[in-house]
Amino acid sequence: MKSVAFRMLCRFLIASLFAMSFQPAMAGMIGTGQAITTTSTSTERAALIGTLSRTDVAGQLLAQGVDPEAAKLRVASMTDQEVAALSGKIDSLPAGANSGTGWAVAIVIALVVWYYWK
Amino acid sequence: MTSSLKNARARAGVFRWALIVALPLASAGCALLIPQTESLRNGWPSDLGARVELDSVPFYPQKDFQCGPASLATAMSFGGVSVLPDDLVSKVYLPSRGGSLQVEMLAAPRRYGLVTWQLGPRFEDLLREVQDGTPVIAMQDYGLWPVPYWHYAVVVGFDQASGKVVLRSGEKRRLEMPFAVLEYTWKESAYWAMVAVPPDRVPVTATETGWLQAVVAMERVSGREAARKAYSAVLRRWPDSLNGAIGLANVDYAEGHLQAAEAVLRDALKLHPKSVVALNNLAQAVADQNRNDEALALIDEAVALGGPFSSAAEQTRAQIRKKIAAPH
Repeated sequence: MKSVAFRMLCRFLIASLFAMSFQPAMAGMIGTGQAITTTSTSTERAALIGTLSRTDVAGQLLAQGVDPEAAKLRVASMTDQEVAALSGKIDSLPAGANSGTGWAVAIVIALVVWYYWK
Repeated sequence: MTSSLKNARARAGVFRWALIVALPLASAGCALLIPQTESLRNGWPSDLGARVELDSVPFYPQKDFQCGPASLATAMSFGGVSVLPDDLVSKVYLPSRGGSLQVEMLAAPRRYGLVTWQLGPRFEDLLREVQDGTPVIAMQDYGLWPVPYWHYAVVVGFDQASGKVVLRSGEKRRLEMPFAVLEYTWKESAYWAMVAVPPDRVPVTATETGWLQAVVAMERVSGREAARKAYSAVLRRWPDSLNGAIGLANVDYAEGHLQAAEAVLRDALKLHPKSVVALNNLAQAVADQNRNDEALALIDEAVALGGPFSSAAEQTRAQIRKKIAAPH
């Protein structure tokens, strides 16, 4: 049930991310992004792999409860390296989330460290 | 009576044992537990002030688990963007995880035209940024093994004499914390810390190559105006920066300011005469001003130099030749 809607969203995302990734480059000019990378991989191949990983990460954001339009924009603001770092790991990477209860633990640690440090 | 006395003795015994075990561990272990605090205690860098506090950094108390949006809003507001934590929830918060990922903390401010920089994993770097007037977002772990409890807080000050840092954290506007406690909790994130600065500033700990990558990352999603400011700032900080000049010229070119682009690239070529990218882009900018023969001479020079951009230069040459053969 979820999967039908989810798959539709994913297809929509794939289509829109592809549309975003083929923005016309300035003919004749070497872009700043190209100038600063020293990789020798063919740029079209790299662009395709990049777009696929972006779609993958956007899909994972959807699965985490982010809405589709927001997911697309969030992925768009990441670099290729950042996308690669997230791909497949959104479940396990640290997510900063402390609430008030964490402070009890914090105070204990703080006291212990401070006691021995002073 | 006797039983309580026995208990007291037993407790004292346990306490003594705990001391016997813990004291040598603690004195020898400090360097392991909090190595950077120890080394700062042993030798405070001479160019680092003794006390700084950025009083004007605003404070947004976090709601629920949203320390990510709250910390970002704190740093970004200070960077001149008017934004509230609620505006950032849809940009960094992951509902199922109940938190925010580091990558997204770095990515989101770019959409507001701020450049983000992940600091080197050094306490000293964090203090230098604060001294330079930039609040630093640090990721801490308040958990107890094996359960991590990740938290973002914003470092806004430090005092060498009392050995404390000042944070905007959670629901506390001004939280003082000993260096040792910050380091102990911060170490778990591999000393992860970041700043988000307006494009006309360059963080004091930034490196040229790393910062250019950060600027290009912002340019992908920000407007050209922010990009122009950022590349100009790169050239103020590193006047010899080739890629800073290429970035600035590309912004000029994209906006149709061909002469401005040409001037920037000519300056860069004085310092870097063998840059294929600068020659190629200059040739294109010159060709677009219908000085085709001059452009052809430049692009011939670029092609002759070879290197990873030679195929791009060859394509440009083919276009210029076509233009010369069939003028419109």
